[in-house]
Amino acid sequence: MKTNFYFLLCLMAIVSFFAIACEDESDTTLPVINLIEPEEGDTLQIGTDVHFTMKLFDNDMLKSYKVDIHNNFTPHTHAASGESTETVPFAYNHTWDVAAKAKKGDTLSVHHHEIIIAGNATPGAYHLVVYCTDVSGNESHVARNIVLSHEGGEHEEHAED
Amino acid sequence: MRVGLILMAYVMLVARQVHARETDTIQNIRLEEVIVTGGNSSAVVRRKSTLPVEFAGKQFLQEHFTGNLVRALEHLPGVHSMDIGSGFSKPLIRGMGFNRVAVVENGVKQEGQQWGADHGLEIDAFNVESVTVLKGPASLLHGSDAMGGVIEITRQPPPEEDRVLGEIVLLGRTVNGTVGGSVMTGMKRRAWYAKARYSEQHFGDYRVPVDTVVYLTQRLPILTRGLKNTAGLERDVAGHLEYHFGRYHAWYAISDAYQKVGFFPGAHGIPDASRLQDDGDSRDIALPYSTVNHLKVTTRQQYAWASLTLSWDAGYQYNHREEQSRFHTHYDGQPLPEHAPNRELAFFLDTYSSSLSLKRELPEWEQVMGWDVQAQRNRIAGYSFLLPRYDRFATGLFGIITYRPSTCFSASGGVRYDRGIVEISAYRDPYLETYLREQGYGDEAIALYRWRAYAVDRRFGDISASLGIVWSPGVHLFKANVGRAFRLPGANELAANGVHHGTFRHEQGDPALSSERGWQVDLSYTFRRAPFTFAVSPFVAVFSNYIYLKPTGIWSALPHAGQIYRYTGARALFAGAELSFGIDFLRGFSYLFTGEYVHTYNRDERTPLSFSPPASLSNTLSWGGARVRCHAEWQHIAPQRRVARNEKPTSGSHLLHAGMTTLFPLGASRAEITLSLQNVLDTRYYNHLSFYRKVEIPEPGRDFRVVIKYLLK
Repeated sequence: MKTNFYFLLCLMAIVSFFAIACEDESDTTLPVINLIEPEEGDTLQIGTDVHFTMKLFDNDMLKSYKVDIHNNFTPHTHAASGESTETVPFAYNHTWDVAAKAKKGDTLSVHHHEIIIAGNATPGAYHLVVYCTDVSGNESHVARNIVLSHEGGEHEEHAED
Repeated sequence: MRVGLILMAYVMLVARQVHARETDTIQNIRLEEVIVTGGNSSAVVRRKSTLPVEFAGKQFLQEHFTGNLVRALEHLPGVHSMDIGSGFSKPLIRGMGFNRVAVVENGVKQEGQQWGADHGLEIDAFNVESVTVLKGPASLLHGSDAMGGVIEITRQPPPEEDRVLGEIVLLGRTVNGTVGGSVMTGMKRRAWYAKARYSEQHFGDYRVPVDTVVYLTQRLPILTRGLKNTAGLERDVAGHLEYHFGRYHAWYAISDAYQKVGFFPGAHGIPDASRLQDDGDSRDIALPYSTVNHLKVTTRQQYAWASLTLSWDAGYQYNHREEQSRFHTHYDGQPLPEHAPNRELAFFLDTYSSSLSLKRELPEWEQVMGWDVQAQRNRIAGYSFLLPRYDRFATGLFGIITYRPSTCFSASGGVRYDRGIVEISAYRDPYLETYLREQGYGDEAIALYRWRAYAVDRRFGDISASLGIVWSPGVHLFKANVGRAFRLPGANELAANGVHHGTFRHEQGDPALSSERGWQVDLSYTFRRAPFTFAVSPFVAVFSNYIYLKPTGIWSALPHAGQIYRYTGARALFAGAELSFGIDFLRGFSYLFTGEYVHTYNRDERTPLSFSPPASLSNTLSWGGARVRCHAEWQHIAPQRRVARNEKPTSGSHLLHAGMTTLFPLGASRAEITLSLQNVLDTRYYNHLSFYRKVEIPEPGRDFRVVIKYLLK
């Protein structure tokens, strides 16, 4: 049936038209976070600042980043920490706007000592997560298992029950 | 796409047989159809459906049997499975899934937690005799949720003569050590027909063809190549009683499906290699895991007078899902619960449904009127929070008229009006409030976050409509349909406000969302003249309001969360087509090519939509003799680079599958043995739609499967 065939041809043409019409797509490429410090498994000393170094990159424009530190206590270690009322589990949540500093297509180096671990932080296992967004809302994140300790350095903490 | 000229697959054979059987089945169903009526009978839908339809019969299901229904249906063009490990999956039709696809069994729409990505469909795969898949907007027949299509599980009619039936099925799979089986027994005696089935399957951790996965820049070990804690089990019972005398026909069905499946600990929370240590047991289900129990009781009552048929489907469903995970909280004030300390989330969903329909059949005209009602109540428990308590009520009235002036032409159109009422209870998190206060947030900020769910009381009203034709001159079959479909927003889309424990996103509902609405145009053309078949079915859907999770660019104050994602309506477009071509040659050989593509586009955001299935092609070569059928399939999955914002692109793959089925007559009885080999080359590949995709976990490796079926005659 020729008519059917032509009809289908038209239809395919319509479908491809839509496909082409949609080529104008916005950026979905994620920003890249290269977190250099702290490293995975690092022990950070309570009461001091965090040596924080990373490089951020986006194909378009970087917008902002966020650092989130929260505890990774298991119920057991958590209960144990409750014995001393002097310390509180440390939580940190801060954002930095980098839109003004970032240039399109350039790598942005971030280095600062603005994150301070409170002196009353409960020692133990924590997560440090860095999130980064670009102007379109593309978001990436990296996570580190870290240990907060009074000792600092290489002290091995019980990360798991 | 490069398609190496390839061996072949079996799919062809299967699909050809499916098509061949289709006619038979239509005739079979035609016999019983006199007594079947109503908008939700598959027979009616299929014969009249102006939408493209796929049919999976007994043989198709047997040859693709894995113990998981959706994995078998995935072999139908336009249908995809979103997998949660190796045992459970949920269906996706032409890029629409979750609450956009309705699954209908025993006349009622299956109501579980369709919105959640991390659990499967609670249906016993052993208990499925045939499936009809309607691709396209089917709100007219099924109301909200059927906008992307319908998967209807249909039953074979009772045997003609009085007899006893029996069936034993055994299943074994190597990829996850599945051991499963099912026993069915039934009896037909005069007007009565009764059947009962018990199925059970156990599986271990599934094997992946890699040693490590890289997630969030961390390399995680996959010890012994088994994905830790992905073992699971399923236990199902079902009973069916049917009575047919004169003009009266009734059946009653009860089923209970229980599933328990472990979650890969690396996918829950921040990756931590210490949680991935080999526990020495590949079959244990440790924390975290989920359990689901789905109870369903349904009945159909039908009475026919001359040209009129009145029928009533009623059902009750109770879906009870729990997620167990060792108690953890980000809010220090939250104590360890005294009761069920590891119960992170629990949902208790009751659904009552009723659908009444009256059909009038005249030589050239057919009219159907119907009234559907559904009431739902969701209750929650657990130390964490995901979805609020809610009550939902929906009712719809519809009318469909079909005009059939000749055997090769029919036109059908209908209108439906639905009302929906959604009442969601607010949920305030006291621990979160204290936490934010300790973090130094002010009252204003706290007011934004402390409600984990907003109180919502909304009324919706929507019209669905459909108009189409079926024209079948000789060897051609042409269908065209225009339909308008809608979907009520889900409780999560209206009221959620907090970090989703599976996606780690701060998801925020919008209590003012309008219902989802779209128009779809479907066409399909089939040519069938021995030894050739050719089918193409293109479609375009345009949504004026398509609900998606929009990244807002605003950082959430909650721990463990990046930016806030808000449910937002957007203008969206879906377009695509399925294409197939088949030829029979020599004696018993056949070749089938199928291909499919879906293009999705969010016109507001100017990005593709999430969970867009990648284009795929498959070549199947099969051979069928009197007692043996075998096939080989070469499948090519294209990479999916068209992703929504913050969704990962997925690379493509080439997969080879093969299988064989042999029939053994044993006196009056019969045994069927199916051997199949999935992913013969043990290729490492990813399913763009799988739950574990975001954790960079590949799909299962080589899987050798044995299904032994013994039928008592």
